[in-house]
Amino acid sequence: MRDHMAARGPDGAGAWYGEADRIGLGHRRLAIIDLTDNGHQPMQSADGRCTVTFNGEIYNYRELRRDLEAAGCVFQSQSDTEVLLHLYARQGVAMVRALRGMFAFALFDARERVTLLARDPYGIKPLYYSDDGWTCRFASQVKALLAGRKISHEPDPAGQVGFYLLGSVPEPFTSFRAIRALPAGCTLLIDRTGAGAPERYHAIAAAFERADLDAGGEANEYDKVTACRAALLDSVRAHLVADVPVGAFLSAGIDSGALVGLMRDAGAQRIETVTVGFDEFRGTAQDETGLAGEVAQLYGTRHTTRIVTRAEFEADLPEIVTAMDQPSIDGINTWFVSKAARELGLKVAISGLGGDELFGGYPSFRDIPRWVRAFAIPSQVPLLGAGVRRLGSVMTGRLGINPKAAGLLEYGGTYAGAYLLRRGLFMPWELARVLDPDTIRDGLARLQPLQLIGAALQPDAHDNFARVATLESALYMRNQLLRDTDWASMAHSLEVRAPLVDSVLLAHVAAAAGSARRKGKQVLAAAPSRPLPAAVTGRAKTGFTTPVETWMRAFVTDGDGRLRSTDIPWARDWSRVVGARFPATTHA
Amino acid sequence: MGAGLEPGRRRTVSGNNSRMTVLALISDGFGAPGGIAQYNRDLMTALSQSSAVRDIVALPRFGQVGAPTPPKVTQRRPQPGRLSWVVNACEMALQLPFDILFCGHLNAAPLAALIARGRSKPLWLQVHGIEAWAKPGTAIRKATARAHLITAVSRHTRARLLSWCDIDPARVRVLPNTVDARFHVRAYPSELASRYGLVGRKVILTVGRLAAGEQYKGHDRIIGALADVRLNVPEAVYLVVGSGDDQLRLEAAAVAAGVRDHVIFAGQVAAEDLPDHFRLADVFAMPSTGEGFGIVFLEAAASGLPVIAGHRDGSADALADGVIGTLIDPGNRNELVTALIGALRAGRAGMPPDGVERFAFPNFATQVDALVRHHFH
Repeated sequence: MRDHMAARGPDGAGAWYGEADRIGLGHRRLAIIDLTDNGHQPMQSADGRCTVTFNGEIYNYRELRRDLEAAGCVFQSQSDTEVLLHLYARQGVAMVRALRGMFAFALFDARERVTLLARDPYGIKPLYYSDDGWTCRFASQVKALLAGRKISHEPDPAGQVGFYLLGSVPEPFTSFRAIRALPAGCTLLIDRTGAGAPERYHAIAAAFERADLDAGGEANEYDKVTACRAALLDSVRAHLVADVPVGAFLSAGIDSGALVGLMRDAGAQRIETVTVGFDEFRGTAQDETGLAGEVAQLYGTRHTTRIVTRAEFEADLPEIVTAMDQPSIDGINTWFVSKAARELGLKVAISGLGGDELFGGYPSFRDIPRWVRAFAIPSQVPLLGAGVRRLGSVMTGRLGINPKAAGLLEYGGTYAGAYLLRRGLFMPWELARVLDPDTIRDGLARLQPLQLIGAALQPDAHDNFARVATLESALYMRNQLLRDTDWASMAHSLEVRAPLVDSVLLAHVAAAAGSARRKGKQVLAAAPSRPLPAAVTGRAKTGFTTPVETWMRAFVTDGDGRLRSTDIPWARDWSRVVGARFPATTHA
Repeated sequence: MGAGLEPGRRRTVSGNNSRMTVLALISDGFGAPGGIAQYNRDLMTALSQSSAVRDIVALPRFGQVGAPTPPKVTQRRPQPGRLSWVVNACEMALQLPFDILFCGHLNAAPLAALIARGRSKPLWLQVHGIEAWAKPGTAIRKATARAHLITAVSRHTRARLLSWCDIDPARVRVLPNTVDARFHVRAYPSELASRYGLVGRKVILTVGRLAAGEQYKGHDRIIGALADVRLNVPEAVYLVVGSGDDQLRLEAAAVAAGVRDHVIFAGQVAAEDLPDHFRLADVFAMPSTGEGFGIVFLEAAASGLPVIAGHRDGSADALADGVIGTLIDPGNRNELVTALIGALRAGRAGMPPDGVERFAFPNFATQVDALVRHHFH
């Protein structure tokens, strides 16, 4: 199991066994903080009570360490891992609330005879577990758990249906019935009775609900935006903590550009940036390399543009599918930019991931509230929505319009339904195109997609912007973007850090959600002391277009090897290509 | 009617330091024969030893009036009629104060869930084996999903239940059978061996019902393998303990396989005579595909017998994944033949293998206590 994840930690390996070999912890190390052997894991407390295996980074570990030392704790290393041991000894499970960072860890407490599993608030770092009633197993990857050969490969219909509904498998489900994800922002205790239920300690919805969304209105806006900018700088500064150089992914967008500017403000001296370019886009508006180069020049970074070709894509595809931990329709772009960063010798790179969720960068921020307003009342008329959808689904096929349009009346009246429409890959009534009837029935019953989406909105912030920001962060970003970033970067032994995915920053931005709604990413663009140029801030949003989509299409062929009809969104075809490569994702 | 408990939430039933009353709806109680009765008795006994439990009131369908019970356990008069048992259970549940409703059989889950909901008390459901493997009807599925805690006798039964029940897996725990201390290595019963004509023979033993509805136990697989086994171990003989309506079919199978003279049908054996029958044998084999757990494997192992079982069902738990005995693919005749020959040639170990003590009663009682505290306290 452990060595299946060798790429995630090429710098070392460790194992620890206790309780007469009834418990074992393993670790693969990517050395970033305290590069000496003192940072070796699994790490045990000096008194032998606690042993931890930890994946991720604790960005505020120096502050925590200072407080712990003031309280009398004696440290053996300079690593953030040791902070976990001391903090747990003092605070128990509640210690997770003090952590700022991305983390997944397991800590065995020999005195209480329990093992604590914990995962960061956003779910940046993955953690999967399996409890067969006798033995609990956990790992950072589903495929690593399977590699141990002790876990049933029986597919989970909820995972299968979830993948085709949303393009990624929504937690806590996985492709396999016996394996579950520890949800983001949760802890879980394993005692002699087995793995307990996950206990939530952080919810994105709660951060918005707690924030006084519009208190003071315009009068207070200046202060809130100022506080927001300070919080952005603070987050970037926190994310630079490392004993190795920290580079950055750079595109022509506001998010990554502003972060590089803030890295400079935070005191980073020698910044290595990398942009991925494509020959197909050369000389078009979609080419990001020119603008990215200007931003790099503005902030004085050492910049590299890495050209990815179709031939490279095709050559890498088998490796990509092998590295993909669970089926996903995305992650290809992260694969190549991570590959480029690693080629430059980087171990750590900053990513602008999360800006769209935090500052309303997606069309969903406009569409979803609008749909809910328009369809809230008619969607409550019994049978009307389903009837319109049945008629409409025939028409959309004939007219060549997006098949989701047929479901607007049935689903558009609630935030959960409208979100499914906006982000959905296949609609529930279309699943028969990709899955067998039993899998669809059982999967929908287990998954309960609308309830799953709706649960992310609890507690309700009573604010449209906050609701969409919550949905995008707790579902799309968590299950798709962050997971893809994890496998696609760690396959290259690269740690990606996302300062815009930070629970401390979230609390500040949530308090300024009214400003974020009105000003959008201008708040972010203006955050560096040297603001982004107008060419970047005024650039029309192109979406995340790359020729990869065109290349993917080439793999979507019918039985005769011809390209399939292109009347449906490319991602649907791509999902079938990916699904076919995952044994647990059965096709009809 | 009060509102039902929200399943899955750990709750304090009546304060952290209080002790709880368990009302147990069970099919087979004290004084009843069979494996389920034994399990129920073990569970009640373990509950009675938990300091978190004040007392246990058992409402059995079958059992004996006046059968001895452990301290803190009261068994009400058994009600063999299905309807009278249901009516009695409802009456008692309305009259008696209790904190946990225990339901000892999946088929009674709808009734138990109704009572638990009506009294706003948590439901603890026990599942044994094959009854929980296939997807049951809607009423049982809904009732099962409402249980606060489900205990399954094996990992296999747990996994099968989770394949049809959308319930938080953290609420489904494994609580295996426990092996009775009367099964241990004992002196060879020469008189009994003579009675069966087993002196000087190498004995393969199976103990189990010969029911037409339980052909999964694999008697016919051993009969089918016996001729090949005897080619290598000519003195091999198959002793079948148990009775039922499948015996004639098995006898015919032995005739057809040409081994009728080497298969002995001993019929039903009194519980007190069972340990001696284990001592007669050189290997215990039951290549079953339908065991919820298979307590008989542990009884055989505790008696010092090498054990052979199938790997497709709860037997894997009873054999501790092969620590206690040999797991084979029950559908693979060659594997069975090889395992039987190997065991007969190796002979009895004389001592129970490591791992049997895992299923000793003290461990069982500790686990019951932990479950009560974790899920209800």
